[in-house]
Amino acid sequence: MAELAADKHVKYIISVEKRKDSFENVVMEHLRMNGVYWGLTTLDLLGKLDAVDSQEVIQWIMECQHESGGFAGNVGHDPHILYTLSAVQVLALFDKLNVLDFDKVANYIAGLQNDDGSFSGDVWGEVDTRFSYIAICCLSLLHCLDKINVEKAVNYIVSCKNVDGGFGCTPGGESHAGQIFCCVGALALTGSLHHVDKDLLGWWLCERQVKSGGLNGRPEKLPDVCYSWWVLSSLIMIDRVHWINKDKLVKFILNCQDIENGGISDRPDDAVDIFHTYFGVAGLSLLEYQGLKAIDPAYALPVDVVNRIFIGR
Amino acid sequence: MSGEDTFSGSDLLNQFELILESDPLIDEVGFIHPSQFELLNSEAGSSFSETHIGDSKEENPKFWIRDHKLGISTHLLFQLYMAAKDAFTGALAQYRTLEGRYNASSSSLDTLESEVMKHSKSILLLSCDFGTAWNSRKLIVSKKQQLSVFIDELSLSALVLSYSPKSEQAWCHRRWVIKMVAEKCSTLEEIIGKESKLVQKIAERSKMNYRAWNHRCWLVTYMTREQVLDELKKSRDWARLHVTDNSCFHFRTRLLLRILEEFCHKQEDENVKNTLQTYQIWQEELDWVAVLIKLYAGREALWLHRRFLSFCWIRHFTTDVGDLPDCSQHKSNINTNIYMFLDNELALVTSCSTMPDNEFEDFQAQALHAATYILWLTKQIPKFRDIRIREKLSATNMKSLLVVTCPERSSLWESLALD
Repeated sequence: MAELAADKHVKYIISVEKRKDSFENVVMEHLRMNGVYWGLTTLDLLGKLDAVDSQEVIQWIMECQHESGGFAGNVGHDPHILYTLSAVQVLALFDKLNVLDFDKVANYIAGLQNDDGSFSGDVWGEVDTRFSYIAICCLSLLHCLDKINVEKAVNYIVSCKNVDGGFGCTPGGESHAGQIFCCVGALALTGSLHHVDKDLLGWWLCERQVKSGGLNGRPEKLPDVCYSWWVLSSLIMIDRVHWINKDKLVKFILNCQDIENGGISDRPDDAVDIFHTYFGVAGLSLLEYQGLKAIDPAYALPVDVVNRIFIGR
Repeated sequence: MSGEDTFSGSDLLNQFELILESDPLIDEVGFIHPSQFELLNSEAGSSFSETHIGDSKEENPKFWIRDHKLGISTHLLFQLYMAAKDAFTGALAQYRTLEGRYNASSSSLDTLESEVMKHSKSILLLSCDFGTAWNSRKLIVSKKQQLSVFIDELSLSALVLSYSPKSEQAWCHRRWVIKMVAEKCSTLEEIIGKESKLVQKIAERSKMNYRAWNHRCWLVTYMTREQVLDELKKSRDWARLHVTDNSCFHFRTRLLLRILEEFCHKQEDENVKNTLQTYQIWQEELDWVAVLIKLYAGREALWLHRRFLSFCWIRHFTTDVGDLPDCSQHKSNINTNIYMFLDNELALVTSCSTMPDNEFEDFQAQALHAATYILWLTKQIPKFRDIRIREKLSATNMKSLLVVTCPERSSLWESLALD
């Protein structure tokens, strides 16, 4: 069986940062903050975070912050809750949360909560349970959950639950493994997992494993490495991970590596990208693959980073 | 140096924006490799009015336009994007500065507004999820508050979706527009109808597109009861032709739940007709899905849809389910016995569980889905755990079938503890 090409992946991640000369790269510049989170979290899981200049990254992150307290995906872009969480997570990786004005960031997020408990992604008002997770995760990392109405936030998430036990973007939205991760994660972080029917949801989630061992995100879809994270972390949070075959999943992820140039793709033999590299390595970390740091299934950060925040060194 | 480099980025952008201005009816955009230009031209034939615009017709084609379809050479994308971004960023910065001044002249503000609108459009036709460009349009459009301007935004979003049908921001922009016009617009019903059609059109080209179908589900809140019934009817043919598209079946779930909601909340006196209608709709859906299940063996989406239908059917239309919350006051005239229902389901499951010797994959999958279906239902309905049903189930030997067809989930099957 193939092994994890850890060194190659480190090289790949560092090289991605430097490519700025093609359309394929510049066209993603608006979400660079997410890319930085995916890349650096992967490096940390591989024990190689020191391969980047933290000062340079932190300075760039702070340039992306707006007066409102929210962060943009890149310098010169508008702020959004999606990039605000990534910014906070990357600062947490570097143990540099102290550069933040906690109140300012927390007020930005709290200001996005709506009357029904849901969260908008930015001032323009799109609502999605992803934003509920982000708000709760981010405020929890900043010890500021008291800034929002947690009970209403939880009730809104519960209102997005479907008959199949899964969750969608808004009430009545189709169940999707990514949305399920967000909803289960938010409920876990607020101590509200009793709202989840674990057997029912666990059933739907374990049915995501297909013959090749990979996981899909919805019925009838092809397997994709990113669901190694979304499905697996959800199964762990609801304590039903023994309902899937872990060995087959490990094999599937390892088969999606580019052994020569590093990086992981969605499916075997496809082109690699930073997004799938992160989810592949994070999935392997959840599967307790040798040589990787453990990752927290709710915060999506290495366990030692989470511990540093909540119980000190 | 190649020919392209002699053209500056801003010249290129001007040319691009001139094309967009001169044909406001462009309804499709695509990126095409230079080698495809020739093919497109030969397909189009020489008598048509296709134009491909470039300094030298054969060597460096840039844009291709015909019948309101625009093609952009992939060789230009980087240069064009950089120029569009610079122009957009500059215009937006100027606009923001001027907008903040109380004494800004309205004519210079107008000029900058149209610059921002023009360049943001160029950016979005190259980078569909460039949020800041969408936001700048929202800012300007919300100041105008004219229906026609809002409708133009729906057209731009549709144009972006023509080359990037999964663009999150393009779908989000549509919802923003609809929320803006919903309260004051007399043609909302018509707009919602058109939106639904657009999703169907995009779903045809872009299979199992979550964002597209999610948008259609979101629209249901704004639909009248007549529209809901109509959508249910219209999406049926589409679903029949796309039995693996779970999203379409989920859309039907959403419509059916909306009908059921009304059925549960209406007062008894106005309810007789609706109750009967709801009951019939549910019965028809169950029958229809059973036909599809037999016709298309091994389709997961069909069996999952049946789980939903049966679960709600038991909850709302059968008697003898004391331990589930329901709206029983409305169903006095509709009584189906739960055991009869279960007998029917067991018959369906048994007929789908025979595996031919050749072990054809679809039949294995069919047997697996059938067995899982009935066990899922048994687990969800506490009443099904009584002795009569347990006997019937153990007679069918579902569990050993599952252990054989799907050993990966053996610990799930063990946890069910059925026999």
